[in-house]
Amino acid sequence: MDKISIPIGPQHPLLKEPLSMMVDISGEKVLGGSLRLGYVHRGIERLAQQRTYVQNIHLIERICGICSHVHTTTYCYAVEALLGIEIPPRAQYIRALMCELERIHSHLLWLGILAKHIGLDTIFMHTWHDREMVLDIMEEVSGGRVSHAANQIGGVRFDLDAEHDKMIRKILIKLHSQVEGLLDVIETEPAAMARTKGVAPISPDLIKAYGVVGPVARASGVDVDMRRDAPLPPYDQLEVKVITHKDGDAWARTFVRVEETRVSLNLCETIIREMPRGDVVVRTPRRIPAGEVIIRSEAPRGELFYYLRSDGSDKPARLKVRTPTLAALSLLPVQLSEINVADIPVVLAGVDLCIACADR
Amino acid sequence: MIRSLFNLLVFPGFMFLVLSGLIFEWLDRKFLARFQRRVGPPWYQPLADLIKLFSKEDLLPKNANDLLATLLPLISLSSVLTAGLYVPIAGYTPFSFEGDLIVIIFLMSVPTLAYYLAGIISLGIYSILGGGRSLLQFFAYEIPLLIALSGPAILGGSWSVSSIMESQGRLGPFIIFQPLGFILAIVGLIGKLKRDPFDIPKATSEVVGGSLTEFSGAKLGFWNLVMDIQAVVGIFLLIDLYFGWTKMGYPILSIVIFVIECLILILILSGTSAIFARLRIDQLAGLGWRILVPLALLQIGFVILMGV
Repeated sequence: MDKISIPIGPQHPLLKEPLSMMVDISGEKVLGGSLRLGYVHRGIERLAQQRTYVQNIHLIERICGICSHVHTTTYCYAVEALLGIEIPPRAQYIRALMCELERIHSHLLWLGILAKHIGLDTIFMHTWHDREMVLDIMEEVSGGRVSHAANQIGGVRFDLDAEHDKMIRKILIKLHSQVEGLLDVIETEPAAMARTKGVAPISPDLIKAYGVVGPVARASGVDVDMRRDAPLPPYDQLEVKVITHKDGDAWARTFVRVEETRVSLNLCETIIREMPRGDVVVRTPRRIPAGEVIIRSEAPRGELFYYLRSDGSDKPARLKVRTPTLAALSLLPVQLSEINVADIPVVLAGVDLCIACADR
Repeated sequence: MIRSLFNLLVFPGFMFLVLSGLIFEWLDRKFLARFQRRVGPPWYQPLADLIKLFSKEDLLPKNANDLLATLLPLISLSSVLTAGLYVPIAGYTPFSFEGDLIVIIFLMSVPTLAYYLAGIISLGIYSILGGGRSLLQFFAYEIPLLIALSGPAILGGSWSVSSIMESQGRLGPFIIFQPLGFILAIVGLIGKLKRDPFDIPKATSEVVGGSLTEFSGAKLGFWNLVMDIQAVVGIFLLIDLYFGWTKMGYPILSIVIFVIECLILILILSGTSAIFARLRIDQLAGLGWRILVPLALLQIGFVILMGV
């Protein structure tokens, strides 16, 4: 059969965000593919240099629509490191709670998308229904479902009261039972297993060569997790169980994310239980002393890297963000060869792309 | 003359089949929605969709063959409607003759071939991919379906659906003797209707809309109608062949039983599409030839032994 190229994106039912791929196929076999990026480039790093540190929080929150909180958290820790201050423990715990909730809803969203791509719409509907409960918590405590505006330099903008506490505990218990059921299905359903087992395996060497991080790396047996390896407070006081799998195929990536959802649920319960009392914010000066800092944190998709340089004014001299998706994207053309056309959605979903993060 | 015209246009012809097609589509969507914790559409939604499609602009790629693209859905529609005329509905068969089962099976496979051609002539990359897949799928499900459907014919000693039903009146419904054949026929029907988990030719995340990616307006409307009526005829046929004791003397009672059987079959179809992930085309071919065909042959062997 002749070689034909099929375009996937920038507009395609498979993609939720714009990304352009040309995939060469012959019959039902994929021969290779190429990528084109930059459809959602908004120049956020440059914009950040024109705004003050405080204004930048709201700008950076808009880098991503799913992991918005971890971006501002990392940014705030970077600014606070330059200031040389430590925020109150209660604020640290609230930040971590939001991060974990975000991880749960990001992983559930991802699970739904994978299920949708392999034609398992029922799981898609159910995971997204359960994800709503997490969004409910976030809306209740912060006022925003997607952009939470939870962080400010020196702490967080809201405190949890007894009622929040009760509500979160109640929803977490409910979520736990729902998630267990879902995980059971995705880990045992024969047709879903047939579609993901052995699809596009990645070797640990390839992971290291491309610098891939997060659940994709952990699914190939590369044991990295910034929550344990370079912990921001309060993760240094919490025990984070890192899930790895040795297979590196699409099923292993599913397994890792699904188990991480479970770990995050437990972590949320621990955080709520051990939440210290006290203030949630300290006053900080507007001008940031000159210097530079690198902060790494674990976003739902992997290691998030922030470099911030200050020249002593109230605006950053340079802000550089490296998102986990970028490395995963570079691995994509490698994965898109010697697979079936029907596996393209599984491969694409497997790396959990966040184009808005990668393009900024 | 008037009676034939009534049979052709109203019952069990055009009007009845179109209406039941829309109702079945609604029931299927409603059941599926309830499985998925959704509310589901109101009862008039399939009709509203159809009216909307017929009022939309009709576009095709520049070099596509417009005449053929118009004819293909119409040919498919007329063949499924004709097939519907020969399927007994609650025991009512105006046009029954010896061998009508073969005619029904033949007419029911016309839309699949037309679907393949529609993909090839509409000149889209996704359409060509979808068309090729539909033909591959045809070879995977059609053989086990045919073998399974010949089970009731052998047991009934006739290739006419109404005489098969009559012998079921004597022997009892054939699902008792051929539960395996019934399951295989359901699997084959799902493949024929291109429903989840065998919606490989029109898998949204892989080939966008399959063969019909480039179709719009009234042509797409006709195609949707073809799929609906195909489902109706397939469900009626399975009921007649496997639950065929609907001739009970009391017409009202047999109609009620027929409707209940329809509901059960729609529920089975919706349930399977709700709980299974879509297979890959190679997995489907493997399933068809390695599992379904041997099982179907086993069932036939059992039926023949029973006849002796």
